[in-house]
Amino acid sequence: MKENDSIENLISRFLNGDCTPQEASELKRWIESSPDNRKEFTVLKDIWDFSLSKPDRSNDQLAQFYKKQLEKSNRQRRLWIRSSAAVAAVLVVGLIISILIPRTESSVAGNEQVFSVPLGSKSKVLLADGTEVNLNSGSELRYAGNFSSKNRVVQLSGEGFFKVKSDKENPFVVQTSDFNVQVTGTEFNVYTYSENKVATATLAEGTIHLEIKGSGQTFEIKPGEKFELDRTNRKYVLEQADIESETAWKDGQFIFRNIPFPELVQRLERWYDVKLDYSGTELQNFKFTGRFKNQETIWQVLDALKLTSPIDYRKTTFREFTLIYKPLKQN
Amino acid sequence: MSDFDSLFRKYHHRLLLYTRKFIDNESDALDIVQNVFVAVWENKKFRDEDERVQAYLFSSIRNSCLNYLKHQKIVRKFEQDIMLEIKEMEVMHYQSGERSLIETENIRQISEAIESLSEIYRQVIVLSRFEGLKNQEIAEQLGIPVRTVETRIFRALSLLKEKISQKSFFILLYLSGLKK
Repeated sequence: MKENDSIENLISRFLNGDCTPQEASELKRWIESSPDNRKEFTVLKDIWDFSLSKPDRSNDQLAQFYKKQLEKSNRQRRLWIRSSAAVAAVLVVGLIISILIPRTESSVAGNEQVFSVPLGSKSKVLLADGTEVNLNSGSELRYAGNFSSKNRVVQLSGEGFFKVKSDKENPFVVQTSDFNVQVTGTEFNVYTYSENKVATATLAEGTIHLEIKGSGQTFEIKPGEKFELDRTNRKYVLEQADIESETAWKDGQFIFRNIPFPELVQRLERWYDVKLDYSGTELQNFKFTGRFKNQETIWQVLDALKLTSPIDYRKTTFREFTLIYKPLKQN
Repeated sequence: MSDFDSLFRKYHHRLLLYTRKFIDNESDALDIVQNVFVAVWENKKFRDEDERVQAYLFSSIRNSCLNYLKHQKIVRKFEQDIMLEIKEMEVMHYQSGERSLIETENIRQISEAIESLSEIYRQVIVLSRFEGLKNQEIAEQLGIPVRTVETRIFRALSLLKEKISQKSFFILLYLSGLKK
């Protein structure tokens, strides 16, 4: 038997046979005995490995990847909530201290404070004057460093529900890109996402004064009323509102009465930090009425939509869905 | 489809094949590939240019495999050390800059090359690589001695090597001709 012969067999046996430990160490010695041998072995084994015929499993592996990432992000979100609770606790302590320390009147506006709420989350902020603000997903509340019970001015983008500490001497002002709201002590909701066509202010209790920016027009809004401004044509409506559905979000509930479908989609996208695609005029004109609890997952919400309205859905990729118009069967 | 999805679909199969060079256990190999994609996702690497992502992917796989083999060596103590040592040597070979066909060549090329083999060589490759039969089983099925199966497999691999390197050579010629 030629030496070459036996190495051929040894390599074949190593690759696809029952190679004994003795044979393996013999092969290893041969490989290590020269760089050419090593090259010969690795190249042949590479061909061998390359020729393995396996079905492409990338699609099911991709699905598995997203499943794991989703589980992980849920875990992280829970952590985020816990850490934001810790931040809030620190904040409350800080606020108490800042209230106790008397301030000089000349104190200049220090660093601006910004509260940003990421998509898919909600937050509650307690301000130094005792006012409570619930912030919805994707909202931002800003106020100057010298905010105090004597200087109560905040800026809002997104959606916030304000429970303003009553103080007739020092009005509380919410500034938005379209209007300013001035109150002395009330509960009201402001909806002012920059990507929306309309901005609204809805009053639950008390009275608010609203001033449209630029025009200087002012309105007095009474409890149960909703002021809606169309940003494109600057037209406004003052109408009787459904306070329960307008403010349910702060209690972790979503109540909709005849909400236009595009707006529903926008809200769900913000609440769940997902992307929902749809097309077609049927959906564009569809109006939705229904109620969800925030604890429900996006899957549960979409399933509920599917059961109660002419809508079907399909997952496209991670955190992305396509909504499809599908008329309900007439029984 | 996002950039990440297309990256995943483009490389997953190849990376799994590459990982299997060094790791026999399929579910461990799948885990290693998944973890490399997790790193890509977290570092937003998929936004880099393709060539850099590819280099990153293959070198991450090599590092993971080497760690895996080192850990296996500790787990298994002395038993079957040689197999692991040969695989380790292989990973290092690729770490020194050698490129695997899995990394550089089109997967379709190998099936075309296998198709063009003469029947006795094609047969052993199909039975071993597609059907998953061991040399002994192939010998029984074809009614020939195991040693003959071993020799045919070795010859088949050598022929494939020639076919593929020839093809790559022509492609290189063609490309350099294009540049002029």
